[in-house]
Amino acid sequence: MTMRVISLNVNGTDHSVQVGPLDRLIDVLRDQLGFKSVKEGCSTGDCGICAVMVDGKLVNSCLMLASQCDGRRVLTLEGLVNDLSMKRLQGSFIANNAAQCGFCTPAMLMASWDLARHKADPSEDEIKVAISGILCRCTGYYQIIDSVREGCKRGTT
Amino acid sequence: MELYSPPDLGGALRFIEHEDKHVTVIASGTDLIPRIRKRQVAPSILLDISSFKEDLRYIRQSGGVTRLGALTTVADLQESPVLDGRLSIVREAAELFGAPQIRNVATVGGNICSASSSEDLIPVFMVLGAQLKLLSAKGARTVPLTDFLVGKRETSMSPSEILAEISFEPPAGHSWTAYEKMGRRNMLIIALVNEALSLTMEDDLLTIHSARLALNRVTGKIPAMAVRTSEFLNGRKATDETIAEAQKVLAAELALTGDFRASASYRTELAQAYLKRLIQRCHRKIEGSS
Amino acid sequence: MQEGDHLSEQISQLLDSLREKAERGELLYIGENIVRVDSLEKVLGNPVYTADLIPKGTIYAKLFHSSIPHGVIKVMEIGGAKTHPGVLGVMTHKDIPGLNESSAVLPDRQLFADSMVRSTADILGAVVAETASAAADAAARIKVEYEPLPAIFDPLEALKPDAIKIHPKGNIARQMKIRKGNVDEGFAKSHLILEKTYRTQFQDATPLEPEMGLAIPEDGGVRVIGSMQSPHHTQAAVAKVLGLPQEKVRVIQAVTGGAFGPKSDETPYDVCSTAALAAVKYRRPVFCGMDREDSMVMHTKRHPFVISHKTGVTSDGMLLADESRIVGDTGAYASLGVFVVVRATFHTVGAYEVPNVKADSYLVYTDNTYAGSLRGFGGPQAIFAIESQMEELARRLGIDPLEFRLRNMLVPGKRNATSAVMDSSCGLPQCVEKVVASSRYREKAARYRNQTGSVRRGLGLALLMHGNSLGPEGNDYGAVHIEILSDGTVSVGSGLTEYGTGAVSGMMQVASSVLGVPLSRFKLERPDTSKHRESGPTVASRVIVIGGNASKLAAEKLREKILPLAAEMLKTERNRVAIADGVAFDRLNLSATLDWDDLVKEAYRRGIGLREEGYFMAPQAPWDQEIGQGTPYLQYTWGALVAEVEVDMDTGYYKVVGVHAAYDVGKAVNPAGVLGQIYGGTVQGLGYAMMEELIHREGSVVNPNLGDYYIPTSMDIPQEFKAFIVEVPGPLGPFGAKIIAEPPIVLPGPALRNAVLNATGVSVDDLPVTSEKVLMGMRPQQAPRTA
Repeated sequence: MTMRVISLNVNGTDHSVQVGPLDRLIDVLRDQLGFKSVKEGCSTGDCGICAVMVDGKLVNSCLMLASQCDGRRVLTLEGLVNDLSMKRLQGSFIANNAAQCGFCTPAMLMASWDLARHKADPSEDEIKVAISGILCRCTGYYQIIDSVREGCKRGTT
Repeated sequence: MELYSPPDLGGALRFIEHEDKHVTVIASGTDLIPRIRKRQVAPSILLDISSFKEDLRYIRQSGGVTRLGALTTVADLQESPVLDGRLSIVREAAELFGAPQIRNVATVGGNICSASSSEDLIPVFMVLGAQLKLLSAKGARTVPLTDFLVGKRETSMSPSEILAEISFEPPAGHSWTAYEKMGRRNMLIIALVNEALSLTMEDDLLTIHSARLALNRVTGKIPAMAVRTSEFLNGRKATDETIAEAQKVLAAELALTGDFRASASYRTELAQAYLKRLIQRCHRKIEGSS
Repeated sequence: MQEGDHLSEQISQLLDSLREKAERGELLYIGENIVRVDSLEKVLGNPVYTADLIPKGTIYAKLFHSSIPHGVIKVMEIGGAKTHPGVLGVMTHKDIPGLNESSAVLPDRQLFADSMVRSTADILGAVVAETASAAADAAARIKVEYEPLPAIFDPLEALKPDAIKIHPKGNIARQMKIRKGNVDEGFAKSHLILEKTYRTQFQDATPLEPEMGLAIPEDGGVRVIGSMQSPHHTQAAVAKVLGLPQEKVRVIQAVTGGAFGPKSDETPYDVCSTAALAAVKYRRPVFCGMDREDSMVMHTKRHPFVISHKTGVTSDGMLLADESRIVGDTGAYASLGVFVVVRATFHTVGAYEVPNVKADSYLVYTDNTYAGSLRGFGGPQAIFAIESQMEELARRLGIDPLEFRLRNMLVPGKRNATSAVMDSSCGLPQCVEKVVASSRYREKAARYRNQTGSVRRGLGLALLMHGNSLGPEGNDYGAVHIEILSDGTVSVGSGLTEYGTGAVSGMMQVASSVLGVPLSRFKLERPDTSKHRESGPTVASRVIVIGGNASKLAAEKLREKILPLAAEMLKTERNRVAIADGVAFDRLNLSATLDWDDLVKEAYRRGIGLREEGYFMAPQAPWDQEIGQGTPYLQYTWGALVAEVEVDMDTGYYKVVGVHAAYDVGKAVNPAGVLGQIYGGTVQGLGYAMMEELIHREGSVVNPNLGDYYIPTSMDIPQEFKAFIVEVPGPLGPFGAKIIAEPPIVLPGPALRNAVLNATGVSVDDLPVTSEKVLMGMRPQQAPRTA
């Protein structure tokens, strides 16, 4: 098994990391680089709570080999703490009781943030589709959907 | 296990040409990575082609032929303005495929090469009469999709080939295509049955000129064309009686699989109900657009 | 306007309203949508869960389990695993210095099976390695030779007298009965008697975070950090396995990513004990985490039940007698199932008055993977059966199902199955009224009666009685301590845990109301066995009732210390002082105010201790074990739910187009939180009703992954969901509060099943209601598949 060094830009910072052939993006993000907002819930792409942005697309980081991300740009929730759109969503999630156990929350926020980039005022159906690949077992989704609708609206600032 | 990531397509083709051990090609890996981790497969060499986007990720249309690069993602299909009208079946299937994060990476080529019964796009490409372009260091060859699929996770591709392109033409004349899929929930599912139809009517818009029906979960063949059912429909009027007869032909023609998700008899019921729905949907569209 | 200005205006309005309330001596904060104390760390994605806390130098333990359902272990070949690169060793039963036991109630389960396996969930040992992947790879190389024994997978088979014995004492882990009146007399007077059998399936709880434990050697013992509901029980379990006194095992509950029951059962013991064993053995921090498949095979599931009802009614639809036989399949081990069957039995006739009730129930061992605690705890199975039976009876009597229920349902003055008299705290009629009006039940039911198209609609109704408190399941007590820190922060600690519901925030909200200090000034201490008193298990949604009362008591003690001081500082009398929003003031002289922080500072200066504990124990709930009669529960949560479905008659595919649900929660401490429980529980209940089914074949789980075991996605929830909070105060909870976390999972199953019946005429008597069963039910010659 040969290790190789890849370069990965995570949240705007370049990293050189050594990876094995079967190391996945989630392994590198969590174990090597410490981005713990990325959660592992199934390891098969069926729960979506490991979702991050890679080159501007929302992907499951458990379904991607780290080597396949060589030279690519990755964004996790940690990288968006100062992003206005994310802050709005986070505030809305808090105000609407959208986080119960919180384990799906980072991925839900990433999917919502990705939606907000494209839609200022998404419909309920658009929100449902946007988060359809991320399972939540606590909320039944309703308060999350409310939060996304409210959080996607641009403020007056 | 070793992983090779050649810099370009040519390098990849040369690599598999000269490698003695079995090489497993990985595109996005959405299907392969979990299977490796569950020890369902143990490739000795993985060849990563996911970075060849310049060469293999495109949706092009010329001379009536639509060409999809093998690395075209399912999300690309959803967003493509080219896949419209009689080709909107491709977009329809893409929208019901996996979930957004999967669609953003899963590739058309990977879906076909995985050759399993959960691959949603195969019946769609089958009814469109898709041709596959396979590349090797020695050159290119084209095979019909129906010949490419041999059995569950088995294809007729040689170890030194890579799938490069899927091409198809929309059905000519008074025609339309449609797709149905059902699972135990509405998203992120392995379909109980999925079924695609391409229907062409005679000028009278009442008589079926030709039908191409394909469905998944066929015992032994995984996705397959329902040839006898299609032939039965050809030349008949698209009436309720014809449809009822065709449903019987379909049930007799293909044995569907039974497993813990659904019994064979229920799958057959579904396939029959979908046949009716697909014919009616296509027929209505053809009438509406003629 | 700036967002910030808007916010400050909102805050000042809130402040004004709080002061007005305080002046009138009304409750502060209770009934208001508060911001949970743990929401900020969650939206920031902070590293607070067990797997986020793994320190450098940690090694990994991977559990391995039996591959056969019943047999004698002949040879365990661990050599191949031991020599795998990165492996430190393989632990089996031989490595247990203490007692090889990992069980919650009956001592029937070993941590690592030593000679015999009774299910494929039986753990044989763990591989310990430098990395998680090395441990997993090595575990796959372990070969075990068994001498297979005959196995039983059907609980009814296991009950037969000549059945092979899965445990030495036989296959019945627990028996229960109810004898109320005389059912034979009731049946003799009946106009119609209906006998039917209902079945439910294995459900997986699927918390998104599987079970995790991290153990760090310290002070001749271990510190264990884990994902769990009941840290003190875990402490006892780990200490037993290690053979150490309990004080050598310190257990801290990490923020827990969902639980729903299994994390109060035996699985957290397994991962924490294994990590602790390895930590002691290898003197290194050890992480033992389950992946999804491990969890779905090895943790406890919801018990499948087979429930038969024989019910007699008069011609005008009055229930006269019900006789039920309740059989729960607990798999190979009893776990908390011994109490699950008790709750199921007490709820056997649900929310109805039946003058004569006879119930016999059995918790039965089989060689399936084991079942245990799961949200609702026997309620979903019992209510599915009785509410299906009610619908069938109404149809046979030709009485509208709603009218039939109205005639028989519990209202104040009526007696339930245990002969407990319902008092004025029974809010069931109000719940029914809400959902009937909201769903336009009468109008739609009439309209849907004679449909002929290929798409049909139907309404289904179900009613809920859900006993609050542990009742017959054990002593119901809890301790909460509150310490006001010198900077004014109110720090709250308890052995009762938060795992998502928000109940602990609610418990703190109670203290916040008593003290007059907003929740934003509160801090939650991580539950820690070295700091917090044993408070029983965090189960049965008991935090708001038991913890709420304890929290209230502690806060009241602190208030008694603070108010005299405030009075002195405000130069007024003690009974004139109020505190609202962190400001103490004279109610008769509003210009005299005092800041909370200054008040606390002064208390510290004078050496007034500001740490108090509240301890609350619910009164005994007397009942007669022999006849199952008495008052097993001290109050009840009531509910009603109408589901509307649309069925495609060609495929059996259906969708739930609307849900109307009302719950009497006594007093909604945090309404947004209550709604969150209603929405979430309902969708989990819809999953149970529509799609969830952990399938066993010959004792092996066929679908232990989220690609084959489906839970609802955002695309599966009803388009319309109307939730109503009814508040009829109960006698037990703080401010009249009743429990709400568990109850909403109960009603969707029967309501949906009844809605499908009313749309199609097909009775699906075994959950889940799959489209296949619906369609095949319309095909007379073919029996529906029962998986």
